[in-house]
Amino acid sequence: MAEAIARGKLIPPYLLSTPALLLYCALLLTPMLMTFLLSFNSFDLYTGIKPDYSLANYLEVIQDKYFHVIFLRTFGMALVVTLICALLGAPEAYILNRMANPWKSLFLLAVLGPLLISVVVRTLGWALLFGKEGAINQTLMGLGLVDEPVKLIFTSTGVVIALVHVLVPFMVISVWASLQKLDPATERAGLSLGASQFTVLRRVVVPQVMPGVLSGSLIVFALTASAFATPAILGGRRLKVVATTAYDEYLNTLNWPLGAAIAILLLVANVIIITSYNRVIEKKYAEAFG
Amino acid sequence: MSFLRLQGLVKRFGDFVAVDDVSLEVEKGEFVSLLGPSGCGKTTTLQMIAGFEEPSEGRIYIDGKDITGVKASQRGIGIVFQSYALFPHMSVFQNVSFGLEMRKVAEAERKARVMETLDLVHLGDFAHRFPRELSGGQQQRVALARALVIKPEVLLLDEPLSALDAKIREDMQIELRGIQRTVGTTTILVTHDQSEALSMSDRVAVMNEGRLVQVDMPYQAYEFPETPFVSSFLGKSNKFSGVVSGQSNGKLKVKVGELEFEAEAGRGPCEGPVHLSVRPEKLLLTAPAEGRFTGRVHTRIFLGNHWVYQIDSPFGPLLASHHNAGIQSVAEGEEVGLTWAVEELRVLAPEAGDG
Repeated sequence: MAEAIARGKLIPPYLLSTPALLLYCALLLTPMLMTFLLSFNSFDLYTGIKPDYSLANYLEVIQDKYFHVIFLRTFGMALVVTLICALLGAPEAYILNRMANPWKSLFLLAVLGPLLISVVVRTLGWALLFGKEGAINQTLMGLGLVDEPVKLIFTSTGVVIALVHVLVPFMVISVWASLQKLDPATERAGLSLGASQFTVLRRVVVPQVMPGVLSGSLIVFALTASAFATPAILGGRRLKVVATTAYDEYLNTLNWPLGAAIAILLLVANVIIITSYNRVIEKKYAEAFG
Repeated sequence: MSFLRLQGLVKRFGDFVAVDDVSLEVEKGEFVSLLGPSGCGKTTTLQMIAGFEEPSEGRIYIDGKDITGVKASQRGIGIVFQSYALFPHMSVFQNVSFGLEMRKVAEAERKARVMETLDLVHLGDFAHRFPRELSGGQQQRVALARALVIKPEVLLLDEPLSALDAKIREDMQIELRGIQRTVGTTTILVTHDQSEALSMSDRVAVMNEGRLVQVDMPYQAYEFPETPFVSSFLGKSNKFSGVVSGQSNGKLKVKVGELEFEAEAGRGPCEGPVHLSVRPEKLLLTAPAEGRFTGRVHTRIFLGNHWVYQIDSPFGPLLASHHNAGIQSVAEGEEVGLTWAVEELRVLAPEAGDG
């Protein structure tokens, strides 16, 4: 009887989620699986994709220095963007949180603004600013600060700036959420115990919002490592990252199996980095925050 | 010379006067409660003593030193916050140790003092727990230990017991009072709970609308309230409005409706319209013929150790409360006589806007 009720209670949720599950399988899992299988095929310039299976594509990526540079660049860039986002976003969220309305809402909107604009439009905007004749260089040269144009477009610096711009909101939101849980009285408690304002920040506030910074870092890191549009437009043809490389293999070289192998490697690397990072955080904060 | 002295403290927020000319002198080792309804300015007063709010006017002295302009972090005041405000990322030990670290106390002495203080609040075995692993009462005691370990000149308690449930709250009242006696720290308690204020403090400072209304020992404040506000805020009271109609041998005659009551001429006014007040436990039920007037029992509630009666009388509903003496009490609907001992009737000045 009890079992029947339990079973009866279990069936409807499964039934209800079936359409979503089917859609998920059809639209996400199937192409992923197909990409995965494709990555084992081989490719011939004259005959195209051959339906045989080998690890050749993976070996090629793993052994070729050309790909090493691209993978290192991608994750290095992700690391730098994550660090800058944490350094900018955490204080930004803290200051925003202490502001009074209407400034609070206004500035929050300004921070979240980049998310409201199409990635292509936003990136082309940066391209206009960064160009040799762009607004930034014209201003710098007009002020006499530099003699020749600063190279921003088609450089890692340019890509990092543009990525930080669009990813900082994720950090702000994440830190914001943990600031909501922070009892302002703990800051006062710190002061009353003789700590300076700076010590209170360092020893009372920062540790409490750290979980927010760390989870924000996860989001920013994952999004940077798999970013496509920004590096494609601002990085150009030569400054390749993993996502643009996969794209080029697919559409320029037409070597779909190699492109698939690159994409799968990016996915696996991302998953490994993120889950191990997450495990470290959880271990560290489980005791205090549960 | 008093140890903590508030001199004419005023705090304005824009046009709103939160604290209006509060002066108070507290002796060394004394336990004083600031008691009042929410919004009466008691918390703002506490914030000014702590250094989190700057007074618009007035000065604060501790041990003769003017600390009005001193930063909160330099005042050496221990505070127990309403929310406890424990550092969630630190263990109990680290929480208590924080204040000593800020004072650069050497490690060996620090450890000893932290453990000593944790033992004082009976949490010696919990040093390595995190705050979220403790019950409300235990968190409360960690907060107290954290404030006491720095040997503060003044201890401020901001509604420290309001988040606890009733049973633990009573135990904590006794424990808190005991600890305060042991360490002898001058203490200011802010609360809206009159029983908390009465049971724990040496003196109660009743506040209303930003002003200090009465500062007295708990018994005095309860038995001899100076205003109708104090009499109704500290415990319950039955109030009658009347007019003084005469005086004879130190006794006032007050006309209330058709009746005339005698009362001792005490601290209150001696003429004109007055407020009469009698505590529910002083309002006696008698046979109908023996009372000063009669009423009918509307509701009777049994609370274990005492009975509470709501009585319909010619002056509106009255409350009476009596010990459960083991005999059958008056039933609902019964007619009773109501009286009191002459000295239990208090004469107070009517308050503006007070019916």
